[in-house]
Amino acid sequence: MAGRPGDDRAGSTLRGVPAFDRSRHLFGAVTAATTLVLIFVGGLVTSTGSGLSVPDWPRSYGMLMPPMVGGVFYEHSHRIVASLVGALTLALALWTARAEPRPGVRRLAWAALAAVVAQGVLGGLTVIFLLPTAVSVAHACLAQTFFCLVIALAYATSREWRDARAPDVDQTGLRGAALTATLIVYGQLLVGAVMRHIGAGLAIPDFPLASGRVLPPVATTPVLVHFAHRIGALLVLLAVACFLARARRAGDPRFTRLGAALLGLVGFQIALGAATVLTGKAVTPTTLHVATGAAILGGCWLSTLRAFRLRRPAPAALAVPVARPVTQS
Amino acid sequence: MSMRTTLAVLALVGLPFAGCGGPKEETPPPGPAATSAAGPAGGAPAGATTGSASISGKISFEGTAPAPEKIKTSADPKCQAMHPQGLERQTIDAGGGGLKDVFVYVKSGLSGTYPAPTEPVLLDQKGCMYQPHIITVQAGQPLKIRNSDDTLHNIHPRPTANPEFNIGQPRQGMESTKTFDKQEIMIPVGCDVHPWMRSYIAVVGHPFFSVSKDDGTYEIKGLPAGDYEIEAWHEKLKTQTQKVTVKDGEKAKADFSYKS
Repeated sequence: MAGRPGDDRAGSTLRGVPAFDRSRHLFGAVTAATTLVLIFVGGLVTSTGSGLSVPDWPRSYGMLMPPMVGGVFYEHSHRIVASLVGALTLALALWTARAEPRPGVRRLAWAALAAVVAQGVLGGLTVIFLLPTAVSVAHACLAQTFFCLVIALAYATSREWRDARAPDVDQTGLRGAALTATLIVYGQLLVGAVMRHIGAGLAIPDFPLASGRVLPPVATTPVLVHFAHRIGALLVLLAVACFLARARRAGDPRFTRLGAALLGLVGFQIALGAATVLTGKAVTPTTLHVATGAAILGGCWLSTLRAFRLRRPAPAALAVPVARPVTQS
Repeated sequence: MSMRTTLAVLALVGLPFAGCGGPKEETPPPGPAATSAAGPAGGAPAGATTGSASISGKISFEGTAPAPEKIKTSADPKCQAMHPQGLERQTIDAGGGGLKDVFVYVKSGLSGTYPAPTEPVLLDQKGCMYQPHIITVQAGQPLKIRNSDDTLHNIHPRPTANPEFNIGQPRQGMESTKTFDKQEIMIPVGCDVHPWMRSYIAVVGHPFFSVSKDDGTYEIKGLPAGDYEIEAWHEKLKTQTQKVTVKDGEKAKADFSYKS
């Protein structure tokens, strides 16, 4: 495979930077996009209460293809898309192992493969052990981690990564802002997963107030988790707005466009969260809320990767020689 | 990368997605007839403290029962075909002159032990509904679960005192047998494939219980003389209790009245 426009593998690598492998980059991007679809379908399984509609695993009612009726449609569809993502990840890992000169990227590919295998096993365990909260939450969080791994693989094989040979100085703190936003969003997804799997999605039944007050009047575990998720939404909003502000200050459209899109997604996500509560967890807003959360994480993570690739740390304050008193003996 | 490594990776990835066994089919063909669900489960076994007293009564309902809930069965064409006119669920069923499907049992006042009958109680999945709606078993008594439908079901009780299970019955005529060893009132049971399917299992430590019929009447037979607390349970209207005293050979009355 060589010689197509945009595919520089025939050319020599420059100063240890690998040639651009367009096909592998696109394959990684497709795997990441399919993972987002998988997260949406997984959200459908919980939103429709179909998590246990297929009581066995790895087969479904002893079959590879059971009748797609009722809740089986959602659960088995999730298994089919998961198998597709597993196959794509396997192919990507093998391809990367064969074609990638950078050991770090090869390790990343193997990590993604290990994650998707662990995710499949966690999915099976959650069915077999009847949705224990810890396993279900781990399944939800590993899905997001795997998504980030695949995004990293796709970005590490991108033309932008290859071409970023002389990064600018990060004078506006883009790196820190992007990383902070990513960590806050990941934490928010973790709280959201706990809320979802302990059934606390309607523990506070109104919006934007909490049982008619600013602070919820009771402090049971479901209410506290739900309220923490609402506070987390504000933190995410602040973190993404901060990232966008720094991107604007840097005047780099590669970051301002992504930051603006992320801020729009966060607004949409808050509206979906409100709709989830106000509709009593209707399937459509609830599932879109899960998928949009993953998209925000993916966007923040991509921003972080780009910030670390396209910006180098600002040097510390210039070292000013300090006159030391001369001690006389 | 060597061929051996490649094969190892392929095997590892295939593990979660490949099949490695058939369905856990416990009893393929329908077995001998099981008892109907309503107690008292054919009287107490030999050796237990029984008597000749009984408690009977009627469960009445005052007020207006909510309109039946219309159920969409289109998620499963086979269920839809079984109910071409649609399916309705009436959780407060007082159309027969009394309140149906109220579980009544002796809550306290009994002494002695009551070994579980060996004859199973049947929970049937028929017409994409559970039959009966209220299933009563004695702790330790077998519960036979049958799929009479030409579609798949999963059976998923959600007990709190007994172990939870979730089993699939993908083929018509499949049967499974389970037991609950601890008294628990009530255990909701549902099918995650067909979310409208819901019933309740009452697991009682003795044989003195009953479920009200269409006309709201019930009867608990074979009681020894004593002072008892009787409890009535309804899935929507919750519980009521009464104190009742009976002597040998006597028929005591205990009516319950629910309001909307």
